[in-house]
Amino acid sequence: MKSYLPFVVIGLTTGSVYAIAAMGLVVTYSTSGVFNFAHGAVGMVGAFAFYSLTVDAGLPMGLSIPIAVLVVGPALGVVIDRVLFRRLHGTGAATYVVVSLGLLVVLQALAVAIYGPETRQMDPIFPRWTYQLPGVRVGIDQTMLVIIAALSGAALLAFFRFTRLGLYTRAVVGDPELAELKRLNSAGITRFSWMLGSSFAALAGVLLTPTLGLDSIVLTGLVIQAFAAAVVGKLTSIPKTYLGAIGLGVAASLATKLVASRPALSGLPNSLPFFILFGILVLSPKGSFPEILKAVAAPVRSRAVRAGAPRFPGALLVAAAAAAALAPAVLSGSQLFTATSVLAFVLIFSSLSLLLGLSRQISLAHAVFVVFGATTVAHLQHAGVPYLVALLAGGLIVLPVGAVLAIPAVRLSGLFLALATFAFGVLAQSLLFGTELMFGRAGIVHISRPELFGFSLGSDRAFYYFVLAVVAAGVVAVETVRVTRLGRVLRGLGDSVPATESLGVNPVVSRVLIFCLAGFLAAIAGGLEGTLTSSVNPISFGFFQSLLWVTVLVTGGMASLGGSILAALLLVAVPSVFTSPTVLDWLPVGFGAAAIVLAQTPNGLAGLVRLPDFSALATASRWRLDNLRGQERIAGAAQAGAVQ
Amino acid sequence: MSMVLELGGVRSGYGTTEVLHGVDLRVPRGTAVALLGANGAGKTTLLRTVAGLTPTRAGRILFQGAPVEHSSAHQRARAGISLVPEGRGIFRRLTVRENLLIQAGSKRADEAVAKATAFFPKLGQRLNQEAGTLSGGEQQMLALAGSLVTDADLVLADELSVGLAPIVVDEIFAALEALRAEGRSMLIVEQYVDRVLGLADYVYILHKGTVVFVGEPARCAADDIFERYLGSVA
Repeated sequence: MKSYLPFVVIGLTTGSVYAIAAMGLVVTYSTSGVFNFAHGAVGMVGAFAFYSLTVDAGLPMGLSIPIAVLVVGPALGVVIDRVLFRRLHGTGAATYVVVSLGLLVVLQALAVAIYGPETRQMDPIFPRWTYQLPGVRVGIDQTMLVIIAALSGAALLAFFRFTRLGLYTRAVVGDPELAELKRLNSAGITRFSWMLGSSFAALAGVLLTPTLGLDSIVLTGLVIQAFAAAVVGKLTSIPKTYLGAIGLGVAASLATKLVASRPALSGLPNSLPFFILFGILVLSPKGSFPEILKAVAAPVRSRAVRAGAPRFPGALLVAAAAAAALAPAVLSGSQLFTATSVLAFVLIFSSLSLLLGLSRQISLAHAVFVVFGATTVAHLQHAGVPYLVALLAGGLIVLPVGAVLAIPAVRLSGLFLALATFAFGVLAQSLLFGTELMFGRAGIVHISRPELFGFSLGSDRAFYYFVLAVVAAGVVAVETVRVTRLGRVLRGLGDSVPATESLGVNPVVSRVLIFCLAGFLAAIAGGLEGTLTSSVNPISFGFFQSLLWVTVLVTGGMASLGGSILAALLLVAVPSVFTSPTVLDWLPVGFGAAAIVLAQTPNGLAGLVRLPDFSALATASRWRLDNLRGQERIAGAAQAGAVQ
Repeated sequence: MSMVLELGGVRSGYGTTEVLHGVDLRVPRGTAVALLGANGAGKTTLLRTVAGLTPTRAGRILFQGAPVEHSSAHQRARAGISLVPEGRGIFRRLTVRENLLIQAGSKRADEAVAKATAFFPKLGQRLNQEAGTLSGGEQQMLALAGSLVTDADLVLADELSVGLAPIVVDEIFAALEALRAEGRSMLIVEQYVDRVLGLADYVYILHKGTVVFVGEPARCAADDIFERYLGSVA
């Protein structure tokens, strides 16, 4: 029993820091209705500000911590509220998710661009003394963290319970419009809650820095473990969130002790919060997690979106395929390699657009499909299975995964589906990527170029054409789905589930189907990409890639083939053409920012460069022609009359 | 007679749809004005536009002689326009007392609670109960208490009696009478045409977003005005 006590102490400490971050998340979510995926990134910014003020500017911690927590954090909160989210009022949950993901990518990439990717170390904030409690030695720093978290939780509760501003904030949570009628400035109160929430995030970031070091990805990632605690509190209850965070911290710490002798489970402690997150979201009774934000019919500000069903992009498909077929003639070795990769990513983005663009379901686990496809091909190839069979098997093996992901898709809407898939993506990475099953003992798998029917695909050119053929087939499948009944049903479900159900449509079947199809195609693309690069390691397709892909696809355009092609070019071709480190560092910043700007557009950049609709133009000019002839006739008749 | 509220050529709507196509309307000080019209005529939109929840696209709204069409909803509420919205205008997750505190604003909270409970004794027994657990009538009383405890000069009441038992409707109308006795001006949208005509000094009838009739209650009963615009209501 005694040997567990130190782990309980560690768990209480980490749980306390999660609690601070999670309570901040709950404050902003419950007042503004916006779940900020970038909450961890806000904490990361606070931590970097703390670092710069202390190490670069030489301020004492007694000054740098208050500035980071009480000035930088709240200021960032004001910017997020003012610049990003207020203008989205009335749009659907998917738009908010995309914008906060864009913010996450921007902040994350900015930190790397400015501070570099290496982890920096900081001196501890609190003294390193320890003291003895019955059965365990406890550090002053650990004690301080627990006290700070408990005090801030209590202060937050007291604020909401006993102060006038707290009461007003609860009123705005209940009904912002009614609060306005009761003379409350809802916008101002929402802004205040963003300041409060961001301040909590910054505090968590600052407190984590001395133990974790200053690493943008780790900080962004660790504070998002707070998501699980917030979901325990149903995203609204501060006491439950606090207790949930403490419980998660202790459970994860005890799990570390338990799995110490079982290396296969080594990923479990870190992924425990995501297990809980996924589990609660999937297993709670339907309707436990209603969206706070309701989409309202907002005025269409830009030019009117042309109504009408999407058409099969036959012309674009033929033109793109022709261009792709001719491309090897002008491309040299490394360029051909890039072009092949672009093709594979066209299929990845095209499959993602089935979820994102067609059915308006945000899936943040797309990289998992890609990884499964690649590793399956590698393992089967080693076992002597013919390449085509292995590639197909890689696609088929993710069907159960797609079906598992479809469960939250059926039960949850918008934000909560995004959260569940996010948890799933992290889970898959931390539990499976480290095992021999996925990447083998070496943590990397190799795929060699195959021979098909006695014809070697060893040359880059031959393999390019093979990839082109497979991708073209996959894209045709995607575009066919878009214009058939399944596509219509999914678009209907994206608009209104009850309305679609009332037509006798079973939403479960179509959602399971589309997740399976998207997963299948992404896995095939993963197999192709893996064969191209000839080796796959867990780092190349981490969960952060899934997030980045969403922002890139939103930028390119999530509703059409043109958008997928554009996204693939942006993600793969741009960095290989412009190879300067500056471009590589700032490119993700650009993707995130573009996703934020374009989140409200129906089809990203592809929607802005619209090809003229010749048939519509012809109809219009025919009308004008008829009109003209009619006028001539009238004029002629009038002339004839005058002559008489 | 001085005007509390004066609308001139007000246009407003949602998205690409315009609902009010240039409405002129006046509420003289200390009077009750009934706003009638069929479903979809734009009554609720008119009240929301005056309160500032729906933006004014064109025209002028003068409150106490000063233009307010560019003010936000909470600024207009602070100036003295109190809208009791359709549905239940209460914070369901807050207690009755907390609801009254919010309505009372920054000062004289106890006084406000005392005034509200004196008028609606039922609320006094439920001060620490969550407002969402009250009966429909009690919820509407609480919503109306908001106008009572403030010194709002103009009360906009949107379909207060919907879904309430007749005996509760009596209490609601008694409260409206009391508000008028205090000298407040009112613009009332109401489905019980007979009852609101008994209360109102003037009647406006809205039809497809335009005012088609203005006059005293007696006059509109005499003309075939109801048959033309409200169907068989009267």
